[in-house]
Amino acid sequence: MTSKPLPSLIAVIDVGTHKTASLLGQIIDGKARMLSFSERRTDGVVKGTVTDLEKLTQCVHEVVNDIERGSGRAVEQVYLSLSGPAAEGERVKGFVAVPAHDGKITAKDVSDAIQSAKRLEPPEGRATILYMRQPTMLDNRPVTNPVGMAGKRLEVNFWRVTMEEGNMRMRVGMVNGMSIKVRDFILASHAAACATASDADKQGVLVIDIGAGTTDWILYYKEHILCAGSIPVGGEHLTNDLSVALRISRETAEDLKLRFGSAMHRENDVNQTIWKDGDKGVGDQQFNRGTITQVLSLRYQETIEFVRKDVLRRLEAIFPGHAVKLDQNMIPSGVILTGGSANLADAAEAVQSVMGLTARVGIPKFENESLRKPEYAGVVGLMAAAITDAPPPVRRPRGFLAQLKELFRL
Amino acid sequence: MASSAAILLVGLGGAGCAMVTRLSAQLPAEVAMALLDTDARALSGGGPGGTLQLGRAQTRGMGTGGEAALGLASAEAEEPALRRLFAGVPVVVLVTGLGGGTGSGAASVVAGFAAECGATVLSFATMPFSHEGERRMRQANDATVKLGQKCHGLVVVHNDLLLQQVTPDAPLSESFAAADKWVGGALRGIASAFAPGALIAADPAVLKSLLATPGSPTLFAFGVGQGEGAAMKAARAACDCPLAHAPGTVAKVASLFVTVAGGTAMTSTEAFEAVGAVRTRFGGETSTILCARIDPALGDRIEVAVLGASLPTPKAPAKPKKGGKVEDPAQPIFEFATEESMRRGLFGGTPMTFIDGQDVDVPAYIRKAVRLPPAP
Repeated sequence: MTSKPLPSLIAVIDVGTHKTASLLGQIIDGKARMLSFSERRTDGVVKGTVTDLEKLTQCVHEVVNDIERGSGRAVEQVYLSLSGPAAEGERVKGFVAVPAHDGKITAKDVSDAIQSAKRLEPPEGRATILYMRQPTMLDNRPVTNPVGMAGKRLEVNFWRVTMEEGNMRMRVGMVNGMSIKVRDFILASHAAACATASDADKQGVLVIDIGAGTTDWILYYKEHILCAGSIPVGGEHLTNDLSVALRISRETAEDLKLRFGSAMHRENDVNQTIWKDGDKGVGDQQFNRGTITQVLSLRYQETIEFVRKDVLRRLEAIFPGHAVKLDQNMIPSGVILTGGSANLADAAEAVQSVMGLTARVGIPKFENESLRKPEYAGVVGLMAAAITDAPPPVRRPRGFLAQLKELFRL
Repeated sequence: MASSAAILLVGLGGAGCAMVTRLSAQLPAEVAMALLDTDARALSGGGPGGTLQLGRAQTRGMGTGGEAALGLASAEAEEPALRRLFAGVPVVVLVTGLGGGTGSGAASVVAGFAAECGATVLSFATMPFSHEGERRMRQANDATVKLGQKCHGLVVVHNDLLLQQVTPDAPLSESFAAADKWVGGALRGIASAFAPGALIAADPAVLKSLLATPGSPTLFAFGVGQGEGAAMKAARAACDCPLAHAPGTVAKVASLFVTVAGGTAMTSTEAFEAVGAVRTRFGGETSTILCARIDPALGDRIEVAVLGASLPTPKAPAKPKKGGKVEDPAQPIFEFATEESMRRGLFGGTPMTFIDGQDVDVPAYIRKAVRLPPAP
């Protein structure tokens, strides 16, 4: 990723289908301290695709204004999240054949291999957004640092994320409009993983981030990103299914989903009658709880099934001819669920039944308690990813005066 | 082939012809029938009424192979024959399956000719199963929009809905029987209302005034009741008819056309009770036209068929003159509640998203054909 050293002030913006959240943090000793947070209802995004740029731009500007006002600091650059099917990922490889006479890998060999991987042109009309490091292979064996080792063939791998050029320019332009630079893009699913999965988890874990419009997933294997993908189905589809089935408004459906919904349909649900308002007054309506859980569980489990198929399809593309099995052996830490729709009752149980892997709802690790909810894994994770993905800062001695200056720099 | 019958039932394309053939046995004599298809073999067996092969030059009797453009050209080529078929018929009921070539392509053309010949055109169109994939679904969607602009009333029957009506292990023929039951019931109701001998009769002009506004959403429901309180049972069944509950269909309409048919034991009180129940559910504030008919063959059964339309805008379109085209194709005056808004709910109007050949914006329970628990 970027080789620039980490700034002391980091602003991240997570643009989702339902809400746009922004977080400003001060980085002290590699840890973020929250200065301000803002969250607003997103306008102009449907199913993870931008439909009204003007409204969305206004929304982004509002959250940036919020965090600037809340902290009294000026934001100069931001990290933007990237989610939905617009960002397409694939594995790219670079090779170097090591000269036979000495057989020791040098730093130049490594950089040559990286160069050759990055020379691969993205498909016509698409721009490369980011590269994520995957295992380096020396003679088909994974190695952490090949420099100094003996071998014949060095292979470096990246997970490359590309985006349609116009789409990327649009997103950058949205932020540039208020004289702020986009420092980097971060894959939303990667961010969600950084907030909820430990380093031990990353030996084998599938993080599924179910947002309002899209479901993004990422698979880690042996500490590296193996592959990632996105399904254009999310929490709004749950609400829509319910509003269609019960012929009720979106708002009522959303409310019933939160109060009575479940990702599992149980036979007993059919015998329960629930009231829309609960006061049994004029306009109150009765519904069969079984209908609600039936509709929601079908959609929820289907979405997870789509994820399962997408994971397998991408693994097949990476390891052609190998029968890859998604089991506890390969993914010992199982599934971590994040995003707003991870809050649906029995979500983990439903995922467990579809995937055949242990599943849990991921709570982001953060100092501020109000953000320790699955729906904030994205924005909290952006901050965490921005810190961990940056190269280690160049240590320079800083006196008291310098720190004081830093503190009062506006 | 001008006929003196009040209603001409037209089956178009493979699915449409099959349905008309299945229905022919249970329809009263006042209904004339015609089968239209591009596939010569499908028509070779003859039919309950006349047959007309479309696109003899275009397809050479081989069918369209799913090409809507070919279906459209085939129908246009038979313009004189189609106009002869529709001449003097007050009501044309067009039954077709959308998604394939003949139905998707020719339906709007055939409906257009019939309307131009002065007939009131009511169309029943079936939509493909979700599992039939992207191409057929898109083709069917386009066709509903075009068809809606040409005919006076359009009732869309989703094949997915049919699957929900039967147990998962029931044979496929049983789910199609549900569609036959609904459409057949509606036709029996409408046809017998115009026939002499009805208890409370109506004439074809009534249907015309009800469906006067092309493009207004059409409501349709059908229910049967038997035994004690049969009329109320039938009315309740009609209120619960899945066709009226299909996602996106109109909940209340301004004008209703209700036909009640029953055996000799049916009393007028019963009939009016049934109509009352239907009105409570569907509206019909502006006008409710009631038809009642005694059919000894029904025994203690009572059938209730409901057809309704709203008049969405006060501005009435210029009536198409005989043989003349008045609509400006660039500016459709009305738009039907199409497939888009009907099943996709809040996602209506957004681009379709396909995974494994299914439009995933359509609720999962509809695509998986899961019958939901009954309302309390």
